[in-house]
Amino acid sequence: MNVYGFAPLLLIFPAIGVLFNALLGHRFVRPDPEAAHNDAAGEKWSGWVASVMALASFTVAVGLFFALIGNDFHMGTVPLFDWIRIPSADFNVPWAMQVDTLSVTMMLVVAGVGSVIHIYAIGYMHGDKGFARFFAYMNLFLFFMLILVSANNYLMLFVGWEGVGLCSYLLIGFWFDEVDEEGKAVNANAARKAFVVNRIGDFAVIVAMILLFWTLGSLEFESVFSSAVELFEEGQRFTILGQSVTIGGVLAVVTTLFLIGAAGKSAQIPLYVWLPDAMAGPTPVSALIHAATMVTSGIYLIARSNVLYEIVRVVAEEGSVWLASPTLVAYVGAATALLAGIIAFTRFDIKKVLAYSTVSQLGFMIAAVGMGAYVAGMFHLVTHAFFKALLFLSAGSVIHGVEHGHHHLGHDDREEEAHEEAHEEAHEEAHGEEAFDPQDMRVMGGLRRRMPTTYWVYLIGALALSGIFPLAGFWSKDEILAHANQHNVGVYILLTLAAICTAFYMGRQIKLVFFGEPRHEAAEHAVESPPIMTTPLIILAALAVVGGALNLPFLTAGMAEAAHNHPEGIFLALEGWLEHSLAAFELSEEGIVNLPLIEPPALKPLVAGLSLLFAVGSFVLAFYVVYGRRPETAEERDPMRDVPVIGPAIWAFAVLPLNTLFMDYVVPAFNRAADWLAHAVDWTFWHDFVHDNVIRDVFVGFANFTSDVLDKKGLDGALVEGTAYLTRYLAEGIRLTQTGYVRNYALGLFLGVVALLAYFLLMAG
Amino acid sequence: MPEVTINWYLALSAVLFTIGALGVLGRRNALIIFMSIELMLNAANLAFVALARHLGDLNGQIFVFFVMTVAAAEVAVGLALIVAIFRTKASINIDEINILKG
Repeated sequence: MNVYGFAPLLLIFPAIGVLFNALLGHRFVRPDPEAAHNDAAGEKWSGWVASVMALASFTVAVGLFFALIGNDFHMGTVPLFDWIRIPSADFNVPWAMQVDTLSVTMMLVVAGVGSVIHIYAIGYMHGDKGFARFFAYMNLFLFFMLILVSANNYLMLFVGWEGVGLCSYLLIGFWFDEVDEEGKAVNANAARKAFVVNRIGDFAVIVAMILLFWTLGSLEFESVFSSAVELFEEGQRFTILGQSVTIGGVLAVVTTLFLIGAAGKSAQIPLYVWLPDAMAGPTPVSALIHAATMVTSGIYLIARSNVLYEIVRVVAEEGSVWLASPTLVAYVGAATALLAGIIAFTRFDIKKVLAYSTVSQLGFMIAAVGMGAYVAGMFHLVTHAFFKALLFLSAGSVIHGVEHGHHHLGHDDREEEAHEEAHEEAHEEAHGEEAFDPQDMRVMGGLRRRMPTTYWVYLIGALALSGIFPLAGFWSKDEILAHANQHNVGVYILLTLAAICTAFYMGRQIKLVFFGEPRHEAAEHAVESPPIMTTPLIILAALAVVGGALNLPFLTAGMAEAAHNHPEGIFLALEGWLEHSLAAFELSEEGIVNLPLIEPPALKPLVAGLSLLFAVGSFVLAFYVVYGRRPETAEERDPMRDVPVIGPAIWAFAVLPLNTLFMDYVVPAFNRAADWLAHAVDWTFWHDFVHDNVIRDVFVGFANFTSDVLDKKGLDGALVEGTAYLTRYLAEGIRLTQTGYVRNYALGLFLGVVALLAYFLLMAG
Repeated sequence: MPEVTINWYLALSAVLFTIGALGVLGRRNALIIFMSIELMLNAANLAFVALARHLGDLNGQIFVFFVMTVAAAEVAVGLALIVAIFRTKASINIDEINILKG
């Protein structure tokens, strides 16, 4: 009996939520053409059903967690149904869920943080005309994300991968009808940018899957990994495009392609450009999809494929393959962490800063998994999900508060009620008066007095992100830095610099948003958000504080010892927990051997102390020195720019032409290629040739055949007319015998009798 | 004087039947044809009684009564038809009675 048999419920609950909000949502949330606001009483239904479904999914994930403990952490597969089955090619992809410690960790994060964000969104999206649509998309996202993390094969993972990409597109462009002053559909454009950039990564993943199936004959994780190890030990060679390559070479390509896929989804160099734009979506979306869950699927993909990366690491160390993809992964991650950290200095949009910060933290995780520190990467993934979701949601609360402050002054109360209606007006106004952006940190300041709860949780999130002891971010970031210090000095230096940047821009943000004097009347009249928004913030803040306990270094070491002495003992620290899903290899005399895992990280006092010192120093530097008294007005120039040497250098980075490169060269080239493909391939070939010549001509030919030959000649000619002709012909002949002369008939009779008599006589004789 | 055997009777019957058959096939007058049919029937009757006598079996004699009954009925119907036809066509030439010609 499969103890994980209830796992499908994990997917069924969000699916119910999608169906509810998609089919019935509009009945509860009826946009009232008169009031612009929707029917607030019905909103509760739509939002709470979605949230309860998310919570139910989380409950299932918790159930799976305990089932795993009860089952001694043994991996389990829950087959749902056969999916693709081609017996001749021995190709069989089932639709099955894999329950192991790695997937359950992701399920808990996705469903848990997802539930909190759903509840927050009930408050945040209050009054939006697309309320039900929003929650349908959110549940759809949960559904696909849970498919992604629960898949037991690459193809099913890819279904989830594409599905979350779709939901990301739908939610970034949630307010797709909004236009900027120039009349450009900014939100819809941001959604398209995200989708197009992700295509590049997705294409790489498809190619990688084809290569895997070609060489290993399967796409299921278990058999891919076991046959990869087996073929590697046998030294099997493959011929691909006329080249003879070892399995190590194939895997080096596959893992590099996975890196490109992860770079797309997890916003790494050079594909990170979509994530900052993705902030065009509603803030809960930024928190859930573009900070906590979807963007971590690249890290999950690499951690899941750890066996393949470890094999490549082994062959790369041997020197037989030049493409050392794990090292490449580590450097891409570290470079992204630093670059995005620097760019974050220069942003004034509160959400853009957090977006670049997310890119930077994802770089930390990618660097960790690239160094083989999968547990450290997953640890940072979990804690980052806590504090970055917290930061985004708090930022949402700030924006919400400032917007309310803005409505409160200068604009009549009618507009506050008729939020959507004022839309058009607001654009007119934008030309006339000053354009007001509630996300611009330059109009904030002093909000800690107006929004105390938000201030405190934001501070906790910022300190956790900066890596201040003893919050969650300190432990997870330090573990990555400790591994980097041990394995790769280059990565260590890059990551340490990135960590310094992190603390600096968070110090700047706290100062600009919450301290000093309000720089705009809107900030003066900001109001604290309702409890439905602040309660989730407090939950996440608590998690951001204690999240580090998941994998405390000394605790881990002690527990590891205890678990070795008592193999049955509960050993829940993330290190021991994930050990059951992540393999580690080493090439020894007798081939490849399975190591238990990288040694539990001991707290390295030097590394930890150094990074803490840097973090605090940098935070303080930003808070007291650079942004100490200034800026006091919204128009004032960012003081960082006036710092000699570093300031201009940082601003030079900010205009680093990568984004321009994409928008000016890659995207237009893509558009041209797409246009060409649309015309040449789609229009000329498909429509003209395939449709006209192949499909239409064959169809017309067949139709002619049936009408002219089959119908006219066959049915009409032979069958119908033939019968008539035959009858007539026979009748013509037979009627000649009807002479009308009785004597003829009598003669016939006579001859008949003679014939009969002759017959009987002769036969008798 | 030679003895009259069964063969004489049968030969007479065959001659009468042949004359009747030729009369049916060869003549046009309906009455003549009827008479020829009667001749054929009676030729058969003669064969019946002759063989019944020869074989000492009364079945043949009984059968003759049936034949005579049928012949009487046939003549009654047939003559009625001829009268009816004569009334419409004023002729009993059977070559003129050909309206069922194909």
